[in-house]
Amino acid sequence: MDKKISRRDFLKVAGVGAATTAVLTGCGPASRYVTRQPYTKMPEYTYNGLSTYYATTCRECSAGCGLIVRTMQGRALKAEGNQNNPVNLGKTCARGQTTLEGLYNPDRVTDPIQRDSRGSTIAKKMDWNSAIQVVADALSKNKPDEIAFLMGLAPDHLFDLVTDLTKAIGAAAPIRFGALGMFEARATLVQAASDMFGQEGLPFFDIGNADLVFSFGANFLETWLSPVAQTRGYSQLRRGNPNRRGYFVQFEPRISQTGAKADEWIPVKPGTEALVVLAIGRLVAEANNITLPTAFSNADVNAAAAAADVSVDTLKHLASLFASARRPLAIPGGAALGESNGLQTADAVLALNALVGNIGKDGGVFLSPVAPLTDAYHRPANLKEMSDFVDLLKSGKIKVLFVHGVNPVFELPKSLGLEDAMSKVLQIISFSSFPDETALQSDYVFPDHHGLESWGYQKVATGTSSSVLSGAQPVIVPFFNTKATADVLLAAAQKIGGTLASTLKFTDELAYIQSKLSTLISEPDGFFSAPEINTFTASFQQYGGWWKTTDNRVAPSAGDALNKTFNTSAAQFNGDGDYFFLPFVAPVMAEAGANKPHLQETADPTTTVMWNTWVEINPDTAKQLGIQDDDVVSITSSAGTVEASVYVYPAIRPDTIAMPFGQGHAAYGQFAQGRGANPADLLSNSTNEAGDLAFASMKVSVKKTGKKRQLSRLEGVLGVYGKFGQQ
Amino acid sequence: MSAIAKALPNLRPEEMEDPKEHLMHDPLPRGEMNRMVLESMHTTTWKYWTVVTILAFLVVTCLGYAWYYLIMQGLGVSGDNRPVYWGVFLVNFVYWIGISHSGTLTSAILRVLKIESRRPFTRVAELMTAFAIVNAGLSIFMHMGRVWLAYWLIPYPNERGIWPDFHSPLMWDFMAITTYLICSSLYLYLPLIPDLAMVRDRSKGWVKTFYKIFAIGFRGTEGEWKNLHLAMNIFAFAIIPVAFSVHTIVAWDFAMATRPGWSSSVLGPYFVAGALLSGVAAVPIVLFFVRSTMKNMKYFLRPEHFDTVGKMLLIISMGWAYFYFNDYIVPWYAGDKWEKILTLFIEAGPQAWLWYLMLFCNIVVPWSVLWRKKWRQTPWLMAIVGILINVGMYTERYIIVPEMSTINRMPFTWHIYIPRVEVILTIGTFALFLLLYFAASRILPLIPNWEVQEGQEGHILRKIGKAKIPTISQID
Amino acid sequence: MPKELKSPTSSANTAQDVQGIWGMVVDQDLCTGCQACVAACSMENNVPFVGEVDAGYGRSMQWIRIERFWQGSYPNIKATPYQPVMCQNCHNAPCEPVCPVYASVHSLSEDLNLQVYNRCVGTRYCANNCPYEARVFNWRDYMDPRQRPELVTLANHFNPDVTVRRRGVMEKCTFCIQRIRHAEDTAASENRDIRDGEVVPACAQACPASAITFGRIDDPTTKVSQAADTSRGSHLLEELGTIPHVTYLAGGA
Repeated sequence: MDKKISRRDFLKVAGVGAATTAVLTGCGPASRYVTRQPYTKMPEYTYNGLSTYYATTCRECSAGCGLIVRTMQGRALKAEGNQNNPVNLGKTCARGQTTLEGLYNPDRVTDPIQRDSRGSTIAKKMDWNSAIQVVADALSKNKPDEIAFLMGLAPDHLFDLVTDLTKAIGAAAPIRFGALGMFEARATLVQAASDMFGQEGLPFFDIGNADLVFSFGANFLETWLSPVAQTRGYSQLRRGNPNRRGYFVQFEPRISQTGAKADEWIPVKPGTEALVVLAIGRLVAEANNITLPTAFSNADVNAAAAAADVSVDTLKHLASLFASARRPLAIPGGAALGESNGLQTADAVLALNALVGNIGKDGGVFLSPVAPLTDAYHRPANLKEMSDFVDLLKSGKIKVLFVHGVNPVFELPKSLGLEDAMSKVLQIISFSSFPDETALQSDYVFPDHHGLESWGYQKVATGTSSSVLSGAQPVIVPFFNTKATADVLLAAAQKIGGTLASTLKFTDELAYIQSKLSTLISEPDGFFSAPEINTFTASFQQYGGWWKTTDNRVAPSAGDALNKTFNTSAAQFNGDGDYFFLPFVAPVMAEAGANKPHLQETADPTTTVMWNTWVEINPDTAKQLGIQDDDVVSITSSAGTVEASVYVYPAIRPDTIAMPFGQGHAAYGQFAQGRGANPADLLSNSTNEAGDLAFASMKVSVKKTGKKRQLSRLEGVLGVYGKFGQQ
Repeated sequence: MSAIAKALPNLRPEEMEDPKEHLMHDPLPRGEMNRMVLESMHTTTWKYWTVVTILAFLVVTCLGYAWYYLIMQGLGVSGDNRPVYWGVFLVNFVYWIGISHSGTLTSAILRVLKIESRRPFTRVAELMTAFAIVNAGLSIFMHMGRVWLAYWLIPYPNERGIWPDFHSPLMWDFMAITTYLICSSLYLYLPLIPDLAMVRDRSKGWVKTFYKIFAIGFRGTEGEWKNLHLAMNIFAFAIIPVAFSVHTIVAWDFAMATRPGWSSSVLGPYFVAGALLSGVAAVPIVLFFVRSTMKNMKYFLRPEHFDTVGKMLLIISMGWAYFYFNDYIVPWYAGDKWEKILTLFIEAGPQAWLWYLMLFCNIVVPWSVLWRKKWRQTPWLMAIVGILINVGMYTERYIIVPEMSTINRMPFTWHIYIPRVEVILTIGTFALFLLLYFAASRILPLIPNWEVQEGQEGHILRKIGKAKIPTISQID
Repeated sequence: MPKELKSPTSSANTAQDVQGIWGMVVDQDLCTGCQACVAACSMENNVPFVGEVDAGYGRSMQWIRIERFWQGSYPNIKATPYQPVMCQNCHNAPCEPVCPVYASVHSLSEDLNLQVYNRCVGTRYCANNCPYEARVFNWRDYMDPRQRPELVTLANHFNPDVTVRRRGVMEKCTFCIQRIRHAEDTAASENRDIRDGEVVPACAQACPASAITFGRIDDPTTKVSQAADTSRGSHLLEELGTIPHVTYLAGGA
């Protein structure tokens, strides 16, 4: 960092007028480094009342929504959606809005630190040179097969860099994991696409152009895959066509936020989704006078109805809806995939789509466009792979573990024994920006910049019909003494020298990103094009990424989807409790929102609970158990026990209890720590056929503890429930 | 005359009241009476000082410190929330305004109506008025989010060129209470003048100077008496509409709002009836304690006075009940959805016990006790009735303010209100009231001595046949 | 709807001369209850968070709350369409005449309800009188870094266009008046009318379902006027005659 150019100088170079307030500033290559100026040397653009807007990418999940961040006087003030970015078209979710509370979070790791001992909050500050030396030593003094990288779902440029790095030193490729990916059962979706269509890829469900949507547990309006894009699709489903209002049926054991928007809610018994799909398929085939395909020939409508606790008439009614719709669409997702037969459910749903012939058609099922800079969709690790990875750590073969962008100690089921396995690793280096549980169990934390202070790109996995690479750039000068992990690794590589240094011969993170982007200059159909890389990068920053203007969805062939055979048995459940256990990702907070006070205070859409974890229990069940609102219950599965307050929830099956995932942090800052319970503590490591965690396959018992802890709700209980409840 | 004579033969002498039971027919020499009043002022026992110390401690902690804490922390330390923006502070406000009606009614109305038995206890009641208004004002200030800017309610010429908004019922309220405080202080002060002069003439040193200032040179000349009577007459007539209007305006704070339960045209007279009930009910409590704790007071304050208050209470309680059910049944009959829910909430909601407590205290207790003359003339029983009616009226205000505002037209926001620091501050205001009263009882003559003497002059027992018949000659 | 525009130099008269009644349409059929508007509003308008205990006691301060009720009971239960409730900016606002100090005032030129924070003395009458319960009160000094040290860093994202409120002050949704003013200034400096869609409040900007439309309702050609003009449209508590400026489009079929 020998040549520093201030933004002020850059602005002179770029010739951007200071008076323009709504300008999208594309930071050219010259503006690579930003320095903080004292107030006496205030640059022109920091005059009061004038804002500067930067396009970047949201890092709150891996969907890759584009953001425009309003800044003034070197402070980021407001995150808004990037109207150009095809993923979100100017919209954001609540998490995207509060990303600034992550940026300015009072609990961020401000400096590189070395812990006294793992789990201890006492740590001594280091300077970055010695931090880089630690990384360099870790990479060079250990054998390649003793080095492991664990990465989050975002950002992609760092994952690419680490992939290159591991390749260069001959270590195993980095493992990629994220709680959202785990609850979305991405591996199952990919496997189902490959099973049914013979083609790899993440399925794309064209909700917006359908006129009837059957969602089997898919919480597509919440956190699933690309919620902002899917909500846009939902909006189009309902009101996109002035002549018809799309109809929407949700099959799930509890009304989720998505289910609350459905016209019909079918409370199927957990584990029987596949049977219901097959039964509907059979009835649809009969209604449409199609010869019964093999896939649905085994289906027994009466048996399925009985098993799923749904009346035969309802099934017939649903089937006639599906059969008569012009563009019916069925979506598998959520807890339906997190059961022991989740893959079968996903397969069956795709077969149902194939039955009505909507594969590769508008309002039907596609494969998501393949993002730029990649050959195919690479899914994150499923639980089976994570389990193997944990076993590898347990064996003690791994001497150094690098963790970035993921908090597996919190996110993985406790029964996997990750903490135990980590104790077998000699050295753990975390790059976390926040003092999360995994960072707490590390020897070193070398904090990365927050997403809004970082360069990067994100390969958009799904959500839009075009192939999108969302670009990120710093919108402010790093607020704390943090350093981009990519820069740390590149610097370490230079310190180590040899082939590694020559392979990763980049001056910094941006140079690496440019080297990747250079392949896009000559790509056709781009939103913009440029003669050379610097101009391209400038536009890339100005518009917040690069994407194609064409429809890049892959229309798979239905193949022999209808010729598969399905077995007609319900899912298997673990444990001998009386109740099905349904963990779900908290719709507003998701897996990593707990450290943002405004997200904590944003009411859950269905229960309106704030700041804590609740357990949803049907009123009849609660009555049987003698439980009332706010009673603390202990929930015991074969894997563990947690305690949380009860929310007597009228829209859940009496044989099911549900609990949101996202709270129960043992670390992660003042707003998250010691708040609520983590349902992951109740999960075993059983998986479905595709190796994804069967998170909805536990049976649990519920016991009253006698304690009471009031849940904070936005709603007035008086006016919503009970004698004075209004409708 | 002949009517009395006709009625007499029905009563045997032993059945007739002893006229000496009446203060007016049981005169003492003037000097003796003055001495008795002075003695009651000058006697302070250790019990008195203990109670004063405790009260002063309560005022400093529960009122002073708690209010400081409230101001510094903001209203978060109170129990207010959405939708109950107005909590116990407003309950206290309405309650104290109600108490303030004790003096006005018992004094002004009884004076206007020339009810002779009023004479010894008007001052006891008027003092309550003044102190209650002080507390009512304090409650409003406690209620304000930024009390340090309260002077913005005063219409004074200022550099900002902004006047208060006289559309707001709160401004009417502010004006009405200010007027009422001034009027009732003057009305308290006027009949005090001859008594202060009496004390002045019987004290020495700096005390004499003190009374000299406040007696404004009253010497008891014919002209002075004439002016005093004239002024008192004017005030007695003038303060009645002021008092009625002040509580009507307090009611308008609520009645002008768009809330179900509040926006009702009967609320004005209903609040006046309620104020009279709680105000008059406070009189026997004070009479009882003054009578039993202060020296010589058993002479001045007699069962007959409790009897008078008791009769008034009974009538007012019936009037209140009429207005209450009017306010209750008319909206019910109108059939508004929210009014119906509100009614149900009050009588069957989580705080329904308050409603039953109110009905018991305000209707069952007075209606069952006050019928009997003997019970009306039992001071301790009357004090208990007074306390119960005040509990009932406090409850009624609690139902009107926080409980009614729990129910609005947005059921999603219905939250139950639980008072927090308000409880302490309420204790503080009661302590302040008592402390002021305790102090006043030793500074001011609690008995309007000259009025009693004036009354005794006019009351004579006239012999008609064998019986001695009490008669009154008009003085003014 | 042509109008005479003052030149920007005669700034003293500009505010009075600006015409345009602002209104909003919320399509409950589209609202997914995702709370993006709530978060966006809080971030734009420096709305404080109040913490778990106060929030559960009915003191959360968000300017929008999303209501949902239940119809029926299991298994035939349905959530009512999500209903975001914010200040309805009534034409006949019950909150305005009750304020003794003119802190809650009406903008005659734009027909908006304004709240003057530094004039407010905290009688809370306006909130009491608001039939929509759209007003929120600063029960504590939620924004004082001396009492809440975490704000020392968090406050960096505060919007300088919006006043930070102290304890004892009433506040409410302003239709993002800072954005309206900004657009008015821009339009005035370019000597033109404000274009339809030029003013987008934070909630409408964030809403992933595009359920919120904002614009001038005095001009029948705007998107918001056309959206409001359907058989699905209704106002909250219409019977009170407050003439709210927010139109709700019914959810469901």
